Amino acid sequence: MLFNSLTFVVFFVLVTGTYWTLRSWEARKNLLLVASYIFYGAWNPPFALLLFATTTLDFWLGDRIAAVPPAARRGWLVASVTVNLSMLGFFKYGNFLLENFQWLLGRVGVAYQPPHLDIFLPIGISFYTFHSLSYTLDVYRGATQPTRSLRDFLLAVSFFPQLVAGPIVRAADFLPQCAAPPVPRPGRFGWGLLLMTLGLFEKIVLADTLVAGSADAIFSYGGPLASLDAWTGVLAFSSQIFFDFSGYSTCAIGAALCLGFELKDNFRFPYGAVGISDFWRRWHISLSTFLRDYLYIPLGGNRTGPWRAVLNLVIVMFLGGLWHGAAWTFVVWGLLHGLCLAVEHALRNLYKNIQWTMTRGGQLLLSALTYLTVCFAWVFFRAADFPTAARLIRAMIGLFPHGDAILSTREIIQVGCVTAGLLLAHWNMRDTSIEAAVARLPRSLLLTLWTLMLCAIILTQGNGHAFIYFQF
Amino acid sequence: MPSSTSSFERVIPDLPWRRLALAAALLTTVATVAWEWRVRAWGYAPTLNDTTDLWAQQREKVGADSLVIIGDSRAHFDLDLDELERGLGRRPLQLAIDGSCAYPILADLASDERFHGTVICSVVPLMFFAPGGPLIANSEDALKRYHTRTWAQRSGHYLGMALEEHVAFLKQDDLTLEQLLKRLPIPNRANAQIAPPFPPYFDTLDRERRARMIEQCAQPGPLQDHIKFGWPALYTPPPPPSYVPKEAFLEGMGKAIEARFHDAAAAVQKIRARGGKVVFVRFPNDGELRKIEDAATPRAGPWTRLLKDTGAPGIYFEDFPELANFRCPEWSHLSAPDSVGFTKRLVPHLKKALAP
Repeated sequence: MLFNSLTFVVFFVLVTGTYWTLRSWEARKNLLLVASYIFYGAWNPPFALLLFATTTLDFWLGDRIAAVPPAARRGWLVASVTVNLSMLGFFKYGNFLLENFQWLLGRVGVAYQPPHLDIFLPIGISFYTFHSLSYTLDVYRGATQPTRSLRDFLLAVSFFPQLVAGPIVRAADFLPQCAAPPVPRPGRFGWGLLLMTLGLFEKIVLADTLVAGSADAIFSYGGPLASLDAWTGVLAFSSQIFFDFSGYSTCAIGAALCLGFELKDNFRFPYGAVGISDFWRRWHISLSTFLRDYLYIPLGGNRTGPWRAVLNLVIVMFLGGLWHGAAWTFVVWGLLHGLCLAVEHALRNLYKNIQWTMTRGGQLLLSALTYLTVCFAWVFFRAADFPTAARLIRAMIGLFPHGDAILSTREIIQVGCVTAGLLLAHWNMRDTSIEAAVARLPRSLLLTLWTLMLCAIILTQGNGHAFIYFQF
Repeated sequence: MPSSTSSFERVIPDLPWRRLALAAALLTTVATVAWEWRVRAWGYAPTLNDTTDLWAQQREKVGADSLVIIGDSRAHFDLDLDELERGLGRRPLQLAIDGSCAYPILADLASDERFHGTVICSVVPLMFFAPGGPLIANSEDALKRYHTRTWAQRSGHYLGMALEEHVAFLKQDDLTLEQLLKRLPIPNRANAQIAPPFPPYFDTLDRERRARMIEQCAQPGPLQDHIKFGWPALYTPPPPPSYVPKEAFLEGMGKAIEARFHDAAAAVQKIRARGGKVVFVRFPNDGELRKIEDAATPRAGPWTRLLKDTGAPGIYFEDFPELANFRCPEWSHLSAPDSVGFTKRLVPHLKKALAP
């Protein structure tokens, strides 16, 4: 079920209405659990069984980890990690691994034709695997106590607002909220509704209507492009992926608030970042903190010397890239970020006392450089293959003086306006929060903006495009 | 850095949220009603959108011996389902798709082992032999929806239909924000390769996907002219891509068209081998559009070859005075009343073509 669909509107009204009508906290949680499985099963019912099975297994493994002596814990944790990553590997990387295995054998002269596995990727598998895995990891680390309630744990993993495209909510953050009914807070429901409106506006109007067409046209074009068109396409994608993913996260946070649950921010104005490390503190925060806590720090983090720290960063970003999709283009995207993080780390050490970098102008310049670097990396993230990425980069640096112009002036203006507005907003709000910004707005302006967003969503007529991150 | 492992509380701006939400809902309702009133004043009326879900819903109804209409918008506009049912004894299922190539749908029916019914296939050679692009994509999108439809999409479709039957501004091809932006008169770069625009809203659609031209288009006027003069650009094949040598492009096109003849014959053969029937129909066109089509694809070319290769019967409107006398107000489709008369006169020819 998509947030941007009529089905979800009816579903959400029914679930929320019933939820607040019920008096018993246990009954409310039961309702949310059933609703979450309906939400997920509406795509493909058998995969709801897979979700149930893996979650139940992690519940049991979490219990085992806590119950056994410390020396035996590691074995149960390895079992959990192995099962979760094997399932993810089979569904998401099965064909990718076979194709690469075939290629490797071909290099040494062995002709091998692997069977093509007709695997249908369960939607959101990368997200709910991490939701579930965070539980056994936290129990192992002693960061959380195992829950006694299978129902609560099933709900923590499958809670429908965040189930298929994040934020990656850790059981340790969610389970305490299951312990007691939410304490009434004035404005929580209304603020949740405004966040849902904002999220849908980002997705339906800004991403799908204003920029997605240009990005799709440029990235699917098979010939040499004019420089203006190539840049427009890449900027369009940089806006599209932000509004698409941030829109989903904002909707999820809003929907959860309407039900009395509180999820953490997943984005914090990332295109206002100064430096790639700052970017990753602002972009997909739930993934970057997951990778930091469960991979980077266990690898030694920056405690084992500068070279090892760089290697750790590259390993983390390599796996972060691969998490997004089974293709070498995603790996290159991750490695580019890893490389940039390493270079930035070195430059910060070398030039930490340079004054101009601390001025507003210097920060603005570094922020612009960061944005351009991120856009360059997006080319690999979005391109279907390396020839497409190479062709696009050549066009961007002007190597096709007579390249094809395929975008209309209207599309270029749309992308220009959306990108400029996005960068301006992120730069100006980089040190604040959406809550603080809304609190400062005059009420009449807030009302006007809320109404305009609602009208634009209705006018767009909900095109039903899936969210980009569903495929991950 | 510390790990994020504890529960927390989000900040909620201190504002009168209940009043703000009610005011926003009220203002949005007023704006929506005003917009509905405005588009009705422009001549729009509530009707269904021709979505892939609506198509998939009809495709699901195809049974073993169904009578199925496939092809382009001419089969969609020009055939009346009631007259066909009266004449052929079975209620047909309308699977023709505007601006599409029929071949993927024909191939899908051929690969459906259950199906041994009757197929009425409209042929506009420029569309039927399209090697790729949007004409093929439109058919493939519909098929993909049919083969992969989820329960969420089904319920969304039924909810959407209930709204579209009562709200005039819900026109996905005409009145969305995206379509409204496309209407802005912004000139393009001289060298920009921009696809010609599709025609605006000019038909109504019911739950059986029966399309009827609206009266405003059937009568001479700005809407009719807008649509009429838009066809030549849409029916002119685009130039070869700049990055493919012309000779290689033409060679590739030739091979693709040959492959289409071969594949169409194979699909027809599969259906006939199971006891099914296929009849090709060339529906009326008019004015400059007929000249363009006849020049690009003369009857002696693809049409004759298609019938020869497939061995299927064909009905060409120009062969029969009672079919050739119909006029297309906007050069490509019949008006709603004429579609009834045309179908009535077409039925005897269909019966003859489908006779054992």
